[in-house]
Amino acid sequence: MVDERVPAIPPVRGFDLSGIWSVFALSQGALVLPVATALAFLIAWQVIAVYGHISPTILPPPTMVLDQLAGNFSLILKHTIPTTYETLLAFGISIPLGIALAGLMVYSKLAYQALYPNIVFFQLIPKIALAPLFIVWLGIGTSSRVTFSIFISFFPILVATAAGLQSVETTMLRLCRSLRMSQWQILIRVRFPTSPSFIFSGMKVAVTLAIIGIVVGEFIASQQGLGYLILFASSRQQTDLALACIAVLCVVGLALYGCVVACEKLVMRWYDTR
Amino acid sequence: MQPEISCQQVRKVFGKGTTAFEAITAATFSVEKGEFVCLLGPSGCGKSTLLMMIAGLEAVTEGTILAGGTPLTEPRADIGIVFQDPTLLPWKTALQNVLFPIEMMRRSRSAYLGRAMELLRLVHLDDAIHKRPRELSGGMRQRVSLCRALIADPDILLMDEPFSALDAITRDDMNIVLLELWERYRKTVLFVTHSIREAVLLADRVLVMGRSPSQIIAEIKVPFARPRDFAIGETAQFNELCATLRTEIEIARGGEAAARQ
Repeated sequence: MVDERVPAIPPVRGFDLSGIWSVFALSQGALVLPVATALAFLIAWQVIAVYGHISPTILPPPTMVLDQLAGNFSLILKHTIPTTYETLLAFGISIPLGIALAGLMVYSKLAYQALYPNIVFFQLIPKIALAPLFIVWLGIGTSSRVTFSIFISFFPILVATAAGLQSVETTMLRLCRSLRMSQWQILIRVRFPTSPSFIFSGMKVAVTLAIIGIVVGEFIASQQGLGYLILFASSRQQTDLALACIAVLCVVGLALYGCVVACEKLVMRWYDTR
Repeated sequence: MQPEISCQQVRKVFGKGTTAFEAITAATFSVEKGEFVCLLGPSGCGKSTLLMMIAGLEAVTEGTILAGGTPLTEPRADIGIVFQDPTLLPWKTALQNVLFPIEMMRRSRSAYLGRAMELLRLVHLDDAIHKRPRELSGGMRQRVSLCRALIADPDILLMDEPFSALDAITRDDMNIVLLELWERYRKTVLFVTHSIREAVLLADRVLVMGRSPSQIIAEIKVPFARPRDFAIGETAQFNELCATLRTEIEIARGGEAAARQ
């Protein structure tokens, strides 16, 4: 008999990778199709790379990348640690920074008018272009990379939090005024508790930007980190090593994203029901 | 004796210049202490705006409003409000929502805990005190919001079409719950509604408000003895009163229709 069920294809849009996670919650049929597609892609890659007379420098087969991953595991791991650490540091600072700035802007109209247009203007600058300047300002150490990463990753948290704080309904604000609550009380007791789902959506975007910021920083000036190792491998035409690093980078990115999603689920569960 | 609420030639204009819109022309009325008054009128007649002004949530353009003998300029602790929406905080339980005003007024939570439990019991929410709003039905939510309005023991209770978003059966239940609460606490109540039957069932006195000009156009006393229940809804006198009120409203709207033609 033909199985007529249509497998659900998880939506993957922009930075929102939640579709990838929902796959695991779906039925087996829905899991098989994306995995099969990925496997087919890898097999095609393998076949083309091996039998297509393509130099491994241009396109090493997946098995070669896997060999590099296994053979140079300790080297890759050594460079994974600083990249992960710096990403976490930058992301960890972005969260309170973005949330506090959003709180300030919603609390004070003056702060909003003074800051918001400038922050939006700053975001219109292609921020990657500013990366070399952070090296000039802060040297080639961790601080320049982390600062640059914060610089590009706090904005989505700020915008999402501000949207959350402003999502409180007018009737609720009327109730607050009738209870003669101060702006501070409204912010802390009503606006912030209304916002977690908004803050988490900002954090999901920010975590992917944080890792991009660190890797770009490592490209420009660094003696360690996966960005550095990719650059090093590329300069020696070790494409397989570079791809192995990229694979690890993907894993790190997905793991961090997964942590944010897990935190969100935990918080929302505690938050929404008893 | 001085009335609990007194409105003198109250006028409200929104906006300025050519875009100005007169929501209330001149409203004059008063509510005695312990009296239950319904403000009845067609939608858009400004009755909710008037209530919000008495709540201190809207500025008065002209005229004066006295509550408890003193001019009203801002929201006050001796006035409790029930809005059309329950406006509950979704992350708080029914009990926590009822106690929210006490927290915000920085009063002792424990001193009001007993009162909160009593109020929730009176509105038949004994089993739901630790439930969150999403676990409650629309009627239950509005009952929580009613308890919240009464928790700080206000002198005046203002209600802005509180049951208009509920289905007819739930609405009847809510009316009975409200009557029971009122029998017990005898607050001064000003209740805005556009349901004639609801007004006659609940009120000691019904004020009819018209549109353009927006002012009080009729005042009708409801003579039924208390405590009341739905049985009075079947009486001829009840239906006569409803008919009289309907005529008053039609007159108010008729003038408007004539002006339009």
